[in-house]
Formats: sequence, structure tokens, C-alpha cells
Amino acid sequence: MSDFFTVYHHLFNTFLLGSGYALSQWVVMRAGVFSVATAGLASIGAYCAAILTTKLGWPHPLSILAGTLLGTLTGLLLSVPLARLRGVFQAIATLAFVQIVVAVGLFSDSLTGGAIGLNAIPILVGTKENLLALLCTIYVLLAIGATRVGRAFEAIRQDEAVASSLGVSVTFHQSLAFGLSGAIAGLFGGLEAFQTFTLFPNTYGFGLIVAALSYVVLGGRRSVAGPIVGTAILLILPEVSRPLADYRNALYGVIMMLVIAFMPRGIVDTGLLYLRRRRLAAKAAAESRQ
Amino acid sequence: MSALVIKGVSKHFGGVAAVSDVNMEVPPGKVTGLIGPNGAGKTTLINLITGVLTVSEGSIHFGAQDITEVPAYKVARAGISRTFQNIRLLAEASVIDNVMIGFYRNEKTTTPASLLGLHSARRETAALRDRANKLLERFGMSKFADQEAGGLAYGHQRRVEMMRALASDPALILLDEPVAGMNDVEAGELGEIFRGLARNGMGVLLIEHNVRFVTTLCDFVYVLDSGRMIASGSPEQIVNDPAVITAYLGS
Ligand SMILES: Nc1ncnc2c1ncn2[C@@H]1O[C@H](COP(=O)(O)OP(=O)(O)O)[C@@H](O)[C@H]1O
Ligand SMILES: [Mg+2]
Repeated sequence: MSDFFTVYHHLFNTFLLGSGYALSQWVVMRAGVFSVATAGLASIGAYCAAILTTKLGWPHPLSILAGTLLGTLTGLLLSVPLARLRGVFQAIATLAFVQIVVAVGLFSDSLTGGAIGLNAIPILVGTKENLLALLCTIYVLLAIGATRVGRAFEAIRQDEAVASSLGVSVTFHQSLAFGLSGAIAGLFGGLEAFQTFTLFPNTYGFGLIVAALSYVVLGGRRSVAGPIVGTAILLILPEVSRPLADYRNALYGVIMMLVIAFMPRGIVDTGLLYLRRRRLAAKAAAESRQ
Repeated sequence: MSALVIKGVSKHFGGVAAVSDVNMEVPPGKVTGLIGPNGAGKTTLINLITGVLTVSEGSIHFGAQDITEVPAYKVARAGISRTFQNIRLLAEASVIDNVMIGFYRNEKTTTPASLLGLHSARRETAALRDRANKLLERFGMSKFADQEAGGLAYGHQRRVEMMRALASDPALILLDEPVAGMNDVEAGELGEIFRGLARNGMGVLLIEHNVRFVTTLCDFVYVLDSGRMIASGSPEQIVNDPAVITAYLGS
């Protein structure tokens, strides 16, 4: 058992962090925003936390909190110019944001260490903290889904005109979603900073954009469980079969194409929908027998 | 209760005037009709009232409030609700969830309470679910509560949209061809519901194609043709108005 744990310890932490990024990606999509800003927001959280501790000697919990707040603030600010954009234009604008964050990380080497990386970050965070952060995130996202804000998100995602005709402010809720996305990405970025020794700007670049999107598209965009299941599958597949690991990116690409073509709602949402339809059919059958 | 007052409103799309210098009043407690041939500008007028489109000229007041430049979600919060000519439901959501979103305007739950899933927020959600179920009963739709709204028959979808608009407890409701495509029995049932709403003090603006339906139901009727108001008056005056007869027979 403990052997198993040492081997898979690292994988489990990767899964917890990946789930955090997936949920950051998920929450904006939940409110109908096609943003890919999660990678940039995570970078800001990670660098903020690491710099505060390595350069200013802040205690790491405080640094992680600061990273979370800076991620939130950046998300909120980002939502202002993006309020007028929709769909693919939001995606392009947020892609540019991620590129800018990477570029700033590379060029301001006195602060970030540039391409050589920000080194000698103490290892202060482990599975316990990751798990706690993920559970808190899941709690908040479930709470939203069960109450007023979740209904507003859902209405906006499906039809903005309907949402506003009922008094729902699209701008406010999309800003809120950006803020939440920034908070989650900043939090998990900060946690990641204290378990990797070194931060590189490109860790939070195109690769993370694709990964976070893939987790959500594979798992599902509606239920909170979707992105977590998506993360688990996409991280575990290359582990169970070593040859697959060498072709990780190709494998992701193929899986994404298959899912989008044959299961556009994602695995979890398709499963839940199937169960719901079966339950309704059973109910209807029972009623017609009476 | 407030009246809707429209003064000298025009709307141009490029060079084309979809609505020209329209004056109109929709008082509370009455069913006001708006008729006119296809393309007359009826839907455009609703979009101008609800802030979906911005007016080119003129003013729109609701009670003491000037809503001429107010964005759609604030018009809704002021108590004006609408249905859409081409039904717009949250197709993936269940019938009851479609109705629940209608309550949004009057919900007490704050954003932080919702994010933290506080007991008060969950309790309000449960209370709204009960109210939604009552509304479904009133419209004879209880057995569809958990079904996906997008899969319902046309007439049932219309009812869901109506329930959603009513859930927001508006002071004024704008109905864009709510009985289009229904048979006389179904239309009559809904007509009774509209009259009931007006009796309880709500202002009702009914857009309709079917002149007979409008004249049996409305207290006052406006007639729009090519963006201009060509007649207004009691149903009897309208059906005997030569300009109206030409507009309908001529088109
Ligand atoms: N967004 C728009 N852009 C350009 N023209 C429009 C737009 N909306 C409506 N129109 C035009 O305005 C006129 C009135 O349309 P509409 O209000 O839908 O009529 P009705 O609801 O009475 O059938 C039509 O000629 C239509 O083509
Ligand atoms: Mg119309």
C-alpha cells in the first residue's frame, strides 16, 4: 500500500492540481464565456506566491492567499474589455492574454528569473493542501449550482437574451465567473509553486490551455464532476500504458476529436442525461400503466 | 401600478424606418391589443420597450421612470416581462428549471450567500421550487416538470414561456403572438388567463395577428402598419375603421 502510494503520489498531486485548473476553465464556460485565460491566471498566482516567499520572505500560506487574490483581481479586470466580445473572439483575446503573461515572465528576468526559471522555491505544500483546496473549490461550485447565481449562469450560457429579459445582468455574472476562474487558477498556481522547486513561464502556456480545455470537454461542461473525471482519465491513460505517454499530445488530440464527434456533452454529462431520460421513461411507463 | 407611455418613438435600421413616430399607452389592469400585418414593426416595438434595441427618436416611460435608454436587464427589473415570438426556452433545462429562472428578479439571496451555499440561499431555492410547482399546476403542466423544455410540443413550450414570464411577477407583460399556431380551444384558454392577469391589476400588451381573437379579448386596440400607427380605439371602432380594413385586405 505505501509502495503504491509512493509511486502514485506524484501522479495524484498532478491530478489534484489538474482538477483545479479544469474547474477554473469550467466555471467560465458555465457562464457562457469562451475564455482560455486559466493558464495565464494560474501563472500569475504561481509567480506571485513564489516571489513573495523567495524574495520577501512571506510565510507561504500568506503568499498563496495573495496569489489567489491577484488571480481574482486579474480575472475581474480581464472581464471588463472582454464584456463586448463573444465566442471565438473571447477565445482569441484570452489566448493573447496568456501569451502576454508568458512574455512578461520571460522578459522581466530580474523578478521572474526569465527563461532560466524562478529557482529554489521551498517545497512546503503537499497532497493534504491540494486536497483541501480542491474540496473547498468543489464545495463553492456545488453551492453556486444549487442556488441563485448558478441559475443565472445557466440561463446566460443557454440564451443571453432570455437571461436579460428576466433581469439577469450578463456583464455582472460573466465578470463574477472570470473572478472565480481567476481565484481558482491563482489558488492552484500558488499551491503548485510550492511543490516544484522551479517555475518556468512556459509551464503556463499553450500546453496548459489545451490540457485544461481537454479536461472539461472530455468530462463535461455541466456538472462539477465532469472536469474532474476528464482530468483523471487524461492523466491516468498515459500512465497505464507507457508507450502512450510518448504520444501524449497526439493521444489528447485523438480523444478530443472522438469526444467532440460522438459525445459532445462529455462523458459525465452524457451519462447523467442517459440516467435522467431512463428515469423519466420509467416514470411515464408507470403512469400509463395506472 | 404604472402605465407604459410611448411618445414619438421611431427606429431606423440603416435608411429603413421599421417604426415611425409611434405614440401608445398601456395602462395597468387592462388588456391592450397591438395588431398589424407581418413586418408592421410590432416585434421591433417590443424590442424597443424592453431595451433590446435602442430607439432612434422619442421616449418611453414606465410610471415615473424614463426607460428610453435603460438596458434590457434593468427594464426587466423595473417590472416589465415579455415572451418571444419565436419561442425561446432554455432548451437543455427541465421545464421546472425554466420556470425557476423567472423568479430571479425578486430573489432575496445575495451573491456571497449563493457562493457560500448558505442555508438561507438553499431555503429560498426550495421555496421557489414549491412556487414553480404551483405555477405548473395552474397551467396544467405538472406532469412535464422534469422533462427537457426543448422536447415539448409547441403549445406546451408556449405555456412554459408564459409561466417563466409570470414567475417574475411583472407589473406589465408583453406577449408577442402568444397564441400563434394554437387551435381556438387552446387560444381561448390562454385568453382567459390573460384576462385574469389584467383583473388582478397587471398591464397586458397582446400582439396578435388574429383580429377576431384580439377584438374579443382587448379593452383597447392599436393598429400598426409599415411602422406607423394607423388607428387606435375600442375593438368595435377598429373593426369598422376603413384604414384598418384596407391595411388588412390590401396586404
Ligand atoms: N435587426 C433588424 N435589422 C434590420 N431590419 C430589421 C431588424 N428587425 C426588424 N427589421 C425590419 O423591421 C420591420 C418590422 O419587423 P418586425 O418588427 O419583426 O415586424 P412584425 O413583428 O410586426 O411582423 C421589417 O421590415 C423587418 O425586416
Ligand atoms: Mg413579429
